[in-house]
Parts: sequence; C-alpha cells; structure tokens
Amino acid sequence: MIIPVRCFTCGKVIGGVYEEFLRRVQMGEKPNEVMDALGIDRYCCRRIFLTHVELVDEIAPYG
Amino acid sequence: MRGLDTSIRVVHMKIEIQEMTHNKGRIVFLDADPSIVNAIRRTMISDVPKMAIEKIEYHLGAIMDEGGKEFESVSPLFDEMIAHRLGLLPVPTDLDVFVFRSKCVCNGEGCPNCTIMYSLNKKGPCTVYSGDLEPLGDAKFKIKDDLVPIVKLNENQAILAYATAELSTGKDHAKYSPVCGVGHRYSAKISIDSAKCDHDARCIAVCPKDVFSKEGKKIVVAHPERCNLCMACVESCELNCVKVQEDPQRIVFRYETDGSLSAKDLLMRSLKILEEKFTGFSEQISALQE
Ligand SMILES: [Zn+2]
Ligand SMILES: [Zn+2]
Repeated sequence: MIIPVRCFTCGKVIGGVYEEFLRRVQMGEKPNEVMDALGIDRYCCRRIFLTHVELVDEIAPYG
Repeated sequence: MRGLDTSIRVVHMKIEIQEMTHNKGRIVFLDADPSIVNAIRRTMISDVPKMAIEKIEYHLGAIMDEGGKEFESVSPLFDEMIAHRLGLLPVPTDLDVFVFRSKCVCNGEGCPNCTIMYSLNKKGPCTVYSGDLEPLGDAKFKIKDDLVPIVKLNENQAILAYATAELSTGKDHAKYSPVCGVGHRYSAKISIDSAKCDHDARCIAVCPKDVFSKEGKKIVVAHPERCNLCMACVESCELNCVKVQEDPQRIVFRYETDGSLSAKDLLMRSLKILEEKFTGFSEQISALQE
C-alpha cells in the first residue's frame, strides 16, 4: 500500500529514506549498496524495502 | 525471612563504550552476568518513557483554501490508518520537562508539561510528509524525521487534523518504546592454528563480516569484534585450523534509538529507572524482615 513508517520487526523508522532509496535505485545504483549507505543494516528492515509494492497511487482515485 | 540468603554478590564489571553516536550505541560489558545486561535491555524496551502522538482530531466535511476552492476531507487511507502512522513517528522528548499526563498538575487535561500539540493541514494533489506536522508552540518539537510519507492526496482531497502527543512507556504501546534493534551477545574469541593452515584463504572468502585478512601469506584475525558467530569459517575449513568460541567474559550490547531520545540519554535513563526499582525492592524486603 504505502511504505510502513517503521520496520515491523525491529521498530526502526524506515519510511523517511524510502523515497531516496527508490530514486537512487532507479538511477541505476545497486539496492544493497543504497541500503548500506542509508543505514538500513538489519535484514528485517531490508526485506521491507526490497519487497514493498507501492499501491497507494492505484487506489487514490477511489478515496 | 528465615532460610533466605540475603547476602549480596558483588559484581565488579567494567564497561567499554565502543560506539556512542546520537542514535546508536555499542557497549562491551566485561565480567558481567548476561542477566544484568538483559535487565538493561528490558528496561530500555519497556520502561523508559517517550512522547508519541496519541490522539488525532480530524476536520470532516468540506475544506476551503484561500482562493475559495473546495476540497473533500478524504484520502486513499482510512483515518484510523493515518492515525496509526502518525502515532509511530518519533516525537522529540525531553524527559526532564515532560511528565505523564495522568500525574501532571493539570489533572490530565493537557498542558505544556505533559502534551505537545500538532496541526496538519495539506491540500492535494501531494504527498503528506511527517515534516508537514506543525508543532503548536516551540519549533524544537518538530518530528525528527521529516521525510516519512504519511499519506498521498489526490486532486480535490485534503487533510486537516490536530494531533496530541503524550508521554507513556513501551508497556502501554510499542510506539512509546524509544529503542529499536536492541540486543546482546557474547563476544567472539577467534584463533587460527597457523601450523595446520594451508593458506588457501577459504575462511576469508566465506566470512560475511570480513573478520579475516591476509598478511603476506599468513591469515590473521584482523577484526574479531565484527564476528557474529555465524561459524561459516569453521565449516569452510577442512583442516580444522579456525576456532571460534564465545567469550562469556565479554558481552557486546548494541542498541539504536528511534531518534526521540539520544543514545546516551536513553542509557542513563534506563540505569536510573533500574536503580529506582532495586531501591524500592530492597526497601520492601527490609520492611518484611522487621
Ligand atoms: Zn528492522
Ligand atoms: Zn499537564
């Protein structure tokens, strides 16, 4: 839906760096290197970034 | 209290602070019992209070902008979901200033000693970020991370809401827990039997944390502190020359805060809370013995 504010498992606030992560990956950087640079160290937080599907734009017209 | 051994075991532990940045800490406890380190961990998770948004009042119905354009107070997410997302945001907390709302001089009505008020006013099309929450009063209470997306708004959609943050502990709700990713483990004792080693460097290739490095032909343990005891090196070495052991004398304790408190403040506060608890406990015991 929309990127979670916090990691489900450890509680780290991860929502704030997601847009930068997306931008940098779309520019051609490797996702793992971008996550390292953004301080997303644990695999619980990393799986949220890697598996997230942004659907909020699809349902926005039906709000 | 006959039969109860009330003698106190004195633990002479030492503390080595390896890292202490604004929101991250890494401490090594030398000659400490894991139960002591775990007590600090549990206090950090559930007993150190922090501020978080608890109540949100939405403006429902039409919202007008300055030019007289009308917006609907709807968004792609349910109001409950937006409220939940706002609650999870890290609110800057000064524990010397704020008190629990129920124990405040205002009798729970809400005053600057126990609550922080925010307003949120945004009109679509746009993304609403945590930075759009405006504190009513002091600007130092602005949300720590101002780029967290809260909700997206479409054409003719708007949000107008007032949020109230208050103090509580992690026991009440996980959003009041100031710490994330807190844990402890034994430090690793790694040794390489150079007499048996064939210098093939399989352990260097297989180690995910780059613990080993090569000095000329010899393989050395360059960064034992990085080891997370995954034992990949031990399994890769057919000659059994790598040995990884846990060192019960050294406990590595790592934690991170969500930004509402600094790592140092959090540690000091958790120690203070523990001390108060033990003092209270020993007073109760001495009352029993009389
Ligand atoms: Zn995580
Ligand atoms: Zn008050």
